[in-house]
Amino acid sequence: MAKAAANEQVLQGTLDLLILKTLSLTPMHGWGLTHRIEQLSNEALQVGQGSIYPALVRLEQRGWINTEWRTTENSRRAKYYRLTTVGRRALGDELASWHRFVSAVGFVIAAES
Amino acid sequence: MLQRARAALARIRELFRRRSRFAAEQHEEFSFHVQMETAENIRRGMRESDAHRAALLRFGGTQRYREETNDARGVVALDNLARDARFAVRRLRRAPGFSGGVIATLGIGIGAAVGIGTIVYGVLLRDLPYPKPEQLVRIGFVTENNATTDDLNPPAAYFHFAKSAQSFTELGSYSTSDDFSVTDGGDPEHVTVAMVAPSLFNLLGVHPILGQLFETGDSSWTNGSGRIPILISENFWRRRFGADSSIIGRVIGISRGERRVIGVLPRSYAFPSPSIDLFYPLTVPVNRPQISLGYLTVIGRLRDGVSPARAQAELNALIPSLSDRFPAITRDMLQRIRAHVSVEPLKAATVAAVHPQVVLLGVLVAVVLLIATTNVVNLFLLRAERAGQEIAIALSLGATRVAIAQRFVIEGVVLGFCSAFIALPAAAYALSTKFGFSEREIPRLHEVSFTWETAVLVVACAMLIGAVVGMIALTRTEMAGLFDRLRASRSTSGRTLRHAQNGLVSFQIAVALMLLVAAGLLGRSFWNLRSAKIGFTPENALSFQVSLPWSGYTTYGDQAIFHAKLADRLAALPGVTSVGVALRLPLASSGAPVLEAQLRSGDGSDAPVVAASGNMASADYFRTMGIPLRAGRSFVSGDLHGAPAVVLSERLATNLLGTTDVVGRRITGRVYAGAPLMSFTIVGVAGDVQWGRIEDGYTPMVYFPLLRDGDGLPADSNPVRRRPTEVLFAVRGAQLPSAATIQGVVKELDHLVPAANVRTLTSIVDDATARVRLTMLLISIAGIAALLLAVVGVYSVVAYAASGRVREFGIRLALGAAPARVGGMVLGDGFRLVAIGTVAGLMASLATTRFLRALLYEVKPTSIAEFGLATILLVVVTLCATLIPARRAARIHPSVALRGE
Repeated sequence: MAKAAANEQVLQGTLDLLILKTLSLTPMHGWGLTHRIEQLSNEALQVGQGSIYPALVRLEQRGWINTEWRTTENSRRAKYYRLTTVGRRALGDELASWHRFVSAVGFVIAAES
Repeated sequence: MLQRARAALARIRELFRRRSRFAAEQHEEFSFHVQMETAENIRRGMRESDAHRAALLRFGGTQRYREETNDARGVVALDNLARDARFAVRRLRRAPGFSGGVIATLGIGIGAAVGIGTIVYGVLLRDLPYPKPEQLVRIGFVTENNATTDDLNPPAAYFHFAKSAQSFTELGSYSTSDDFSVTDGGDPEHVTVAMVAPSLFNLLGVHPILGQLFETGDSSWTNGSGRIPILISENFWRRRFGADSSIIGRVIGISRGERRVIGVLPRSYAFPSPSIDLFYPLTVPVNRPQISLGYLTVIGRLRDGVSPARAQAELNALIPSLSDRFPAITRDMLQRIRAHVSVEPLKAATVAAVHPQVVLLGVLVAVVLLIATTNVVNLFLLRAERAGQEIAIALSLGATRVAIAQRFVIEGVVLGFCSAFIALPAAAYALSTKFGFSEREIPRLHEVSFTWETAVLVVACAMLIGAVVGMIALTRTEMAGLFDRLRASRSTSGRTLRHAQNGLVSFQIAVALMLLVAAGLLGRSFWNLRSAKIGFTPENALSFQVSLPWSGYTTYGDQAIFHAKLADRLAALPGVTSVGVALRLPLASSGAPVLEAQLRSGDGSDAPVVAASGNMASADYFRTMGIPLRAGRSFVSGDLHGAPAVVLSERLATNLLGTTDVVGRRITGRVYAGAPLMSFTIVGVAGDVQWGRIEDGYTPMVYFPLLRDGDGLPADSNPVRRRPTEVLFAVRGAQLPSAATIQGVVKELDHLVPAANVRTLTSIVDDATARVRLTMLLISIAGIAALLLAVVGVYSVVAYAASGRVREFGIRLALGAAPARVGGMVLGDGFRLVAIGTVAGLMASLATTRFLRALLYEVKPTSIAEFGLATILLVVVTLCATLIPARRAARIHPSVALRGE
């Protein structure tokens, strides 16, 4: 697919943030998560679809999300991920640090020009 | 902080979570994802086949994400291990020669080591299976100037000690006899019997599985108060009575009358030996006290806090008071025979006889394991050397040293684990066959068996040795030097590695030489034993045992008639040339004399007493056994009249009368200690025979006549009061009857009489040399294995060194060096190794062969011939191993060498 080549790869370390943010809207399964991220970024961000699963496990290990097997609207079994309260707090921290990072980068870039 | 703890907890939970469940869920999740994506693609208008492929492509490698999730799950360490093991297996598969060699070497080495180690531990070290075993001691009554060589107690001494000694909570005693047969229902069966003092069971803390034990008053003498009570072993109970629990109280027929079974002893009791079937209550006869004939084994349980040494001192102090209790035993007698007592821990006393062999066995197997391990280390070193470049690259690319160390160790563990598949059956085989030994040769052997602990030990040992070997190989490769090797390739080789390998190979050569020398010495001993003049002709002859029941055969005459009839019938069989009867045959018993005769020359009571082993023999005995008569004749009818006839062996004639020209002379003496003094006429002189063990040399023998029908004399008039109830028959002939034929003939005469232990005389002689033969075989096998391993070691080291110098050799050859000279340089390498190993091995042998002395027969522990032969064999074989690389080096074409790697 030619489209994939044009898309930005997700920056290392930002995938966790994207997942947390997306899950904060509503619990969803893995496939839905990848599509939601792509949608929300207006198809600009391309998540390597398989790569969210290790990230999900990592987040679950930290206790930021938990999982549950549910049936989808098409009545199929799927594993749903949901943000925990700890995860919600962590999302706040992550967002704050992201904003700090972005503004820092912005300052540097502005100084250059 | 809290978060970390939670994460750790989750990790641990994950670890315990069923991995398979997780994998299944993950599989479901992944395939759900791909299916959703496929459906989405189709919705966007793709063809079905393309849609699925595209979905997989976007997912990007399920295997990869499976591994990454596992990493995240924290099963990382475990999974890494599994992955490393998988890699190791893959790597090792690519080197089947190396892996196979290591697995086989370790497997056999560890299997043998654990198997034999278990035997050594079970026999020498493990506690006896009785409560508080450390309190149990064996009490020996040692006398000098006595015909007996063992330390068994005369009944009077046991009685005295049991009544007076304070050091013990209890004393018990027993004696064994193998000459009983059970005639009750079914076929008559030969059984082994122990006469046991009732206190012995209490002392050992044994409980019957059925019925009861003896009580203090029980006696093996029929005294009108009912039938003699007996106990039977569990084995016998199961074998003969099908574990019938109604056996208690039943009266069974034994060759000596009817006995009442009062209890069954558990199999675990197995004292004094597991082969005992019947137990009689022992009555200690003290109405005619004497101290010259001991036949009781005495066991005691020490009081708390009493040492064996203190108990021994107390018993020794009690000896003089024996004459107070038994005036018939005078102080003078006690002093003359220098009676004293030894008190030894029971465990040590039980295994004392085989201690050196068992220790030797242990040492041997340790040596074999050591050689096997060094060889494996050597193989690993060579492999590490080969892998040197690969490792150097890995290091330079950022692999940690720990990771590389892990690689070697895991290889070792994997190989060790694989070798357990050889080691386990090997150990099980060793423990089930016990190398052909039985508890007759090695006491306590019946206590040893293959258990799950052994299996665990084998696997643990195998993996541990594997890990250690891997580690050694790693440290020896000197990792710092690997960077140099990356640059320099193979033209310089690690010096430390070389030294390590050379050391190992020299060590192997030294050990191989030691074992070869030992094998040579034992081989010579065995040869000497086999070619020793045993004094009779074992070929074309067999023997069997007959025990007569007492009922119906109450006199010497009755018994002699039976023996004569049986001999006649056997002699009439086709192919049989002669049949002889005697109380015992040479080399057939443990060497204990049947009759301990005490003889004097002439009538003079001032002549010194000479001890001799007595035997009763029929007229045809000498001819049948092939024992030559040097002078005079064998027995004839009429020999029991007047002064009974005797035949002396040459050795006894010389001991007694100073000459072998003794036919017609008179001697006096007792047939056994306590028998009446009698006169005898010497009618013949027979050749000497080896009686007990060949190693012990000739025994002075005196033969008393065993004549048919008692020579017409009144019942029991034979000089040997002991009735010949149990005798051995010897049958000689070009064609020997089968065991079934013999049993048939015996049964025809009396269906209550069993014929037992039918065997050829050759097998009896084989048994007599079995101990030395077996030790020699074990050492030879170990020696040959060591030699082979040494050859492999020498070859691999020299060949490897030579291959590292190919370029150098090429240059030398190009510059005009003679090929022979280049080959010689390689030979020199090998020669140095062999020389160092040989010198070390010779020195070690000189220092250690004396420990074999107990097993050597007519060969010195430092015999030059055996040392020389072993050395020559070793040097020739190992130098041959260096010839191959030497020839290869001499044939190098300069251009090939210079072209480089």
